[in-house]
Amino acid sequence: MSTAVTPAAPTRDDQPAKPATEQSLLRRLPGTLLRALLTQRIVLLLVLLLAVVVTFVALSQRNYLSAAYDTSYMATALISAVPLVMLGLAELLVITSGRGGIDLSVGAIVSLTSMVFGFAYGQWGWSLWLAILLAAAFGGLLGAINGYLIAFIGYPALITTLATYYAFSSVAVVINDQQPISTAPIQKLYSTAASVNVLGLPVPLGTLTFLIPTAVVVWLVLNRTTYGRRLYAIGTNDVAAQWAGIDVRRSRFTAYVMAGVVSGLVAVVTVAQFASARPDAGTAGNGMALPAITIAVLGGVAITGGVGRVAGVVLATLLLVWLNAGILLAVPGNAGSQFQLFALGAVLVFAALLNGLTTRRYGGR
Amino acid sequence: MTTTTTGPGSSPPSTTHEATARGRVLPFPITGQEIVLLAVIVVLWVVLSLATPAFLTAGSIVPLFVATAPVALIGIGMTVVIITGGIDVSVGSMVMVCAVVVAEQMVSSGLPLIAAVLLSVVIGGVLGLMNGVLIAYGRVHAIIITFGTANLFRFLGLQLFGGTTVNGIPDTLDVFGRGGSGRTLGIPHSFLLMLVIAGLAWYYMRHTPGGRHLYAIGGDANAARLAGVKVQRRVMLAYALTGLLTGLAACFVIAQGTATLAPNVGDGMELAAIAAVVIGGTSIMGGRGSVFGTVLGALLVQTVTSGVTQLNWPSQLASLFIGIFILIAVGADLLRQRTRRTA
Amino acid sequence: MSETPDTRTPGAPAPESRDTAAVVRLTVRGVSKRFGAVRAIRNADLSVHAGEVHALVGENGAGKSTLIKIFAGAETADTGELTFESQPVTIRSTADAIGLGIATVYQEPQLFRDLTVAENIFTGREITRRGKVDWAAQNAKVVELLELIGLPARYATVPVSELSIAEQQQVSIAKALAGDARVLILDEPSAILTDTEIQVLFGVVRRLAASGVSIVYISHRLDELFVIADRVTVMRDGETLGTWRIGELTVRRIVELMVGGILEDTPDEHPLPTAEPRLVLERLGLDGEFADVDVAVRPGEIVSLYGLVGSGAAEIGETVYGMRRATAGRILLDGRPIAPRSPREAKKLGIALLPADRKGQGMFAFQSIAFNISAGHLPLLSRRGVWMDRRREREVARDFIKRLSVKTPHERQPVSAMSGGNAQKVVLARQLVERPEVLVLVEPTQGVDVGAKEEIHKIIRGLADEGTAVLIVTSDLAEAIRVSDRLQVVRAGRTTVEFGRGATQSDVLAAAAGALEEAA
Repeated sequence: MSTAVTPAAPTRDDQPAKPATEQSLLRRLPGTLLRALLTQRIVLLLVLLLAVVVTFVALSQRNYLSAAYDTSYMATALISAVPLVMLGLAELLVITSGRGGIDLSVGAIVSLTSMVFGFAYGQWGWSLWLAILLAAAFGGLLGAINGYLIAFIGYPALITTLATYYAFSSVAVVINDQQPISTAPIQKLYSTAASVNVLGLPVPLGTLTFLIPTAVVVWLVLNRTTYGRRLYAIGTNDVAAQWAGIDVRRSRFTAYVMAGVVSGLVAVVTVAQFASARPDAGTAGNGMALPAITIAVLGGVAITGGVGRVAGVVLATLLLVWLNAGILLAVPGNAGSQFQLFALGAVLVFAALLNGLTTRRYGGR
Repeated sequence: MTTTTTGPGSSPPSTTHEATARGRVLPFPITGQEIVLLAVIVVLWVVLSLATPAFLTAGSIVPLFVATAPVALIGIGMTVVIITGGIDVSVGSMVMVCAVVVAEQMVSSGLPLIAAVLLSVVIGGVLGLMNGVLIAYGRVHAIIITFGTANLFRFLGLQLFGGTTVNGIPDTLDVFGRGGSGRTLGIPHSFLLMLVIAGLAWYYMRHTPGGRHLYAIGGDANAARLAGVKVQRRVMLAYALTGLLTGLAACFVIAQGTATLAPNVGDGMELAAIAAVVIGGTSIMGGRGSVFGTVLGALLVQTVTSGVTQLNWPSQLASLFIGIFILIAVGADLLRQRTRRTA
Repeated sequence: MSETPDTRTPGAPAPESRDTAAVVRLTVRGVSKRFGAVRAIRNADLSVHAGEVHALVGENGAGKSTLIKIFAGAETADTGELTFESQPVTIRSTADAIGLGIATVYQEPQLFRDLTVAENIFTGREITRRGKVDWAAQNAKVVELLELIGLPARYATVPVSELSIAEQQQVSIAKALAGDARVLILDEPSAILTDTEIQVLFGVVRRLAASGVSIVYISHRLDELFVIADRVTVMRDGETLGTWRIGELTVRRIVELMVGGILEDTPDEHPLPTAEPRLVLERLGLDGEFADVDVAVRPGEIVSLYGLVGSGAAEIGETVYGMRRATAGRILLDGRPIAPRSPREAKKLGIALLPADRKGQGMFAFQSIAFNISAGHLPLLSRRGVWMDRRREREVARDFIKRLSVKTPHERQPVSAMSGGNAQKVVLARQLVERPEVLVLVEPTQGVDVGAKEEIHKIIRGLADEGTAVLIVTSDLAEAIRVSDRLQVVRAGRTTVEFGRGATQSDVLAAAAGALEEAA
């Protein structure tokens, strides 16, 4: 070979750092760990979660906090994790379906379904089970509107769900003339939002009745059913999925329907928590969609589709909830709840930048 | 193919001269969607003035224009961002930060008009630049970064509010308000200023290399890079520009409110601006769109909002119509694209 | 099947020694490029003269596109020297190449669909007056360029999305020319053009060459080289074999150089299948793509449709698989007419298809091997259609890894981490899970290294021997001849000549190029 005109500079394709074979296993270990930390979102979240808990427990033991940061406090804090995890999982389903999948309307679905649930349970005197079933079905119907427009007609998901966000939240407010429903049966629901004793810890009931079942079902759907395979397949490469004989449109449609069903269940949780079916339950202030999407992305769901795990969403929520709970004790008064926003934003930007970096550095996802 | 049957090379040279002689070296400046929008707005105005005689009076039109100005202004920036293939969902929180800083300064140190506007614009610009740097150089999807910064800005804003409202805001900014001092020849200053900026933005986007590069980036960022466009810098500047315009819009928002500023200022403005952009015919996929469409889109959104109130309907019903308008606008665009492709 | 790749074909002229008269514009000497374990280019030499049309030919995978990417700055060479107008140069980026005046027109037009033709041509180098784009000046220049290229002047202000693919490609050429190109590289410019459009293209190329521009012209249509090229450089297996004046060559000789000697196919031992055809295409047609296609494939038989890119061959395969719907004629399966409307329906009928574009249409890149194989057979690998039968999924994946000798530590490895040949085996495995009666393979070995190619050919033969009716759609002639029992040439959307075993490459190639008389 003659002299090189260009040094064999590695192009972006062959950049993945391959550990040199002559290096000993021991010397490779820190690198492997770092790599796992950077490329495996679950590992990163676990480490962060551990760091947060250890920090606050230590602060608590030195009496820097306004109250004790212990296991029972952490268990109580899970009450705010219920809607977050569930809507995060709803976003996981639609974002994983690919083609720019996203659902801005989940908060509006919660609002509207809250009202429908309020009518059924609070005014028409339906039984609780039937009313919950109705809420799930109605949420699914609203999700089906999104899914039909996106999967079958080809609307961009962002715009479709922006439009339905407007439409659903409007109907939610107008349907009962801006009035919340807080009749006796609804108020009694508050007791279901109370805590129960699990191994000596005051665990919010919603965690057991809604959060864990939803997480388990979504996990089963994604990891154990043929539908889960189809969903990951269309999210990874919907052209290849079509060539492989998968019904891409129906699979994507179903993802939005499932997100709607989960949002419908969140409506029930929210009504119980507030002891009132409020027309702005999911849309007040910043709304529920933004935190839900944030949780999903933080949990490692790739906005490009095809990548996302239930464990990531759950861990991301726990990280935020327990971080928030700690901040509330560390920063007195109103400012505490504001630091939650900071934590949410900072962790999201950090995670996103890290994602970009690791994609370039390791070529992985 | 939609091209006419004229074979390659067979076109008579006269066409050349016609094209250059007429001076039409660009496609017609107004798109079909904009004409339709204008028609829809006119029809709505006619219907509304028939339904409620009070609609076409100054007492009703002036607030309509004043309320349109901030959303349209942010929408102009959002149009530029969306044309590059991005999005910015942090503008609502940005409005909050700018508004609370300016309002507090006006209350505490009696900030004069020019300084207030400058302060607001600078803060907006800095926040926008932050978005731009993270998106262009961090190579992360815009929606994720701006979701993150939306939370950060909101945190910042709430800290500045300190859990209460800002009270006793002086009338420094009334030149942008609804009152008599906010008008010249009956036209609200804020609306006028917005139109001027829209005109400048339109000219920039249509007639300068920088503007055309933004379209190219949205069309195919990789091809743009190969053609020598400085993609990252342009993208960064698009977000910075949106920040500047959002800063100005925050002044408009203070001006049209009362002497009290509540922490919910700016809530939902990012969605309103995106709605205006999309109704105005800008493609969410990037590469296609116009600033004038966005102004019309904002005007339509505000007309609907105002009309619903005038008709004594529940005000929240307006959102339903906005949602439907978005679906119709995007659906029409989808249909056009599809017929063009299969034709 | 044996090939003698190293013997130079007897009768081929020696490469021209020296060309004294011409001015050398661009030379490369000793250029090599590796991609991982694959040596894409080994020691390539090339010298392009001013004002000549220099054709670069070779089979798929011979290294042509890598070589031109090195010129264009899209890849950097590992070793070798480049000189431009007698000056040693380094090209590290596309900007470097453009700066030198080397412009490249790729097969896929790099255009902005929503911008006008004039804007596309000037993006990144707008003519401005006081900060404003000088539309009139730009337009005037574009009109000139369009005239040169043979497009109507009024196209200057038309958005690119409204032009046909062929016109878009002409715009790409105009774009390349706007920057005062000294060397213009055309990567298979004629592949997607009709005959009349090709004539226009040739006119442009000739005019440019006459004005002193060096043209590097890549094409698979060898017949057209005799119309347009001045000299020809042949590549095989990453090496340049030499450069000849076009007058010293014939189509037959070029082919012999490309494939490396005369093919001595040992006739296959197995008897030709005689059963009733399983798959029959009867005067099948699809508007704008192909027409009057007649093909019959018996169980145990391998039939190849050989056609260049754009010949319509790939679309025939897609129609059988339900991706497109025929507008004329019919498809018979075991004598019964079928009309699959989707891949799902085709699969239910027992038809499987290996798509051409592995990355775009075949692979689920960052998913595991097992995922990639099972994705097409979820109902089969499930319990009651709902739950994944993960044990069977694993068994099936392991079974195919063994049967197709996929090189991988385990079935959980993501396919994006595998070589082209291994990934192709995984995608092929997906088509075999349910033992299809009819197997359509579109470009089964594209982008696959020689060893894996051989293995895949053996797998295909084995499948046929088990009774599968195999239809191969390929633009790789050596492959078509090597594996098929019968071979049909597709040209301009029609099946033309049919060859049995023992066809020679030059005969087939000549038929495909529509120049049968020349080769004879």
